[in-house]
Amino acid sequence: MWAYVSTLSVPKDGATAEECEDASVVVPLIASDEPTDGPVSVAVADGASESLLARPWARVLVDSTVEAVRAKPEVLHSEAGFARVVLGAVDDWDTWLATYIAEREETARPIKWYEQPGLERGAYATLLAFHLTDVGLWHAAALGDSCLFQVRADSMLRAFPVDTAVALGTSPALLNSRNRDDELIASNAFVAGGDYQEGDQFFLGTDALAHWFLTEVEQEDCPWEVLRDLSAAGSVDEFAEWVATERAGGRMKNDDVTLVHVDLG
Amino acid sequence: MAYSAEISRVNPTCFVFLVDQSASMNDPIGGDSPQRKADVVADAINRLLTELSVKCAKEEGVRDYFHVAVIGYGSSVGSAYAGALAGRDLVPLSEVADNPARVEERVKKVPDGAGGLVETTTRFPVWMDPVANAGTPMGRALQYAESIVSKWLVDHPGCFPPIVLNLTDGEATDGDPDGPASGIRAHASADGAALLFNLHVSAGDAEPVTFPDTDTTLPDAYSKTLFGMSSVLPTDMRSYAATQGFSVSDATRGFVYNADIASIVQFLDIGTRATDLR
Repeated sequence: MWAYVSTLSVPKDGATAEECEDASVVVPLIASDEPTDGPVSVAVADGASESLLARPWARVLVDSTVEAVRAKPEVLHSEAGFARVVLGAVDDWDTWLATYIAEREETARPIKWYEQPGLERGAYATLLAFHLTDVGLWHAAALGDSCLFQVRADSMLRAFPVDTAVALGTSPALLNSRNRDDELIASNAFVAGGDYQEGDQFFLGTDALAHWFLTEVEQEDCPWEVLRDLSAAGSVDEFAEWVATERAGGRMKNDDVTLVHVDLG
Repeated sequence: MAYSAEISRVNPTCFVFLVDQSASMNDPIGGDSPQRKADVVADAINRLLTELSVKCAKEEGVRDYFHVAVIGYGSSVGSAYAGALAGRDLVPLSEVADNPARVEERVKKVPDGAGGLVETTTRFPVWMDPVANAGTPMGRALQYAESIVSKWLVDHPGCFPPIVLNLTDGEATDGDPDGPASGIRAHASADGAALLFNLHVSAGDAEPVTFPDTDTTLPDAYSKTLFGMSSVLPTDMRSYAATQGFSVSDATRGFVYNADIASIVQFLDIGTRATDLR
């Protein structure tokens, strides 16, 4: 099965691209107009703005997760498997953080007193992992409100892990960079799976986009059409312009927005 | 809807703390504590500035979601900042965070994990020192705050409305404060009128009256005046107050009477609770 994969991301209004606290990674890494015919692995994370180092924590989470999924896709078949993936990311984070603190010292910018409590609390982020096999099946695991939507024959077949817009309005579960309690992580995680067919589309998005998507679906609109067009265009500027319009119209909250589109069309 | 503006670095808001520095602030606060009222209030403001700095800290430094003034009133009315910020009114939070007058080592007791307590030292940044002398020129202080708010709104017409928090232990000695208080609340951004919250520090054992929605339970004309000067809590702050265990209604005001140490901390926490930071 050929798949086209594209990723689009814009920061919240008033922030720079370097301050965007969403992170995503797709393996294999291919251009949006080049198809791939093997397994596809995707991870999306949404760093919580209220925490310190949310952006690098989201980055470590997606990189570590996709690496684990590529090595052993079965980790997404159970909450316990997903929790083990997260523990691996927490280990990677400890390494990253030690390097970061050392670099701050070396560049005469030691950690300030107002950063210390945030470092002690740890960073927070959501995580959504997705794997498309080459035998017609997909698996996903999530903690928090970054969402996956499967669309088939111009209809939403599946929304995961949240399936109503109102449910996205509440405080999401978040992964803490210091959390080594695999049972706690597993108890807050969800897994899902299903089959796919030629023509199916998968959309992975962080909460602002997911809320917009589900609201459109609840109004019996077809949000996948506009996202498919934006994805096909592949222009970050065009995507940013569309997001700005939706924000200005009050249809999308001002937050970092990330979309990963896996098109089996 | 009013009081829903996002607070961002391009659209920040401001806090103005008015701190009574009259002679009676030398008296001990009510209850079992031997601490002077002036010490308790200064500690509470310093701790709040610490918490705001930590809350807004990011990798590149503290983000200027807020600009903060600390104004004392007693023998004079003006900036209560000490150290490098002395004499300044509104200061961006990043500058506040980088310029405490000093950082003290304080001893605090923490659980030892075996049911007891153990002493440990903690770093305590200090921006303002306790002062207590002379009268209570609350009217002039409110006018000073009005001037700050008025100037701020010229430059930030779309901001989450400025919040003025007045902490006092006595009646104004320069006339009825109700007029100057109305002057503050008459200023507005596109998101709503400026907010004025008042706290009266107790010197006795009377139960605190926290976030009332009527003045009928208040004991005297003075407390009713402070109640009348206080803004109704916006929805988000009211909801937050409810999560902290307070009984609230649509008419709940940002007002605490006979505050003890705990209710001073709660007042500052709820009165500065502007959550939609971007």
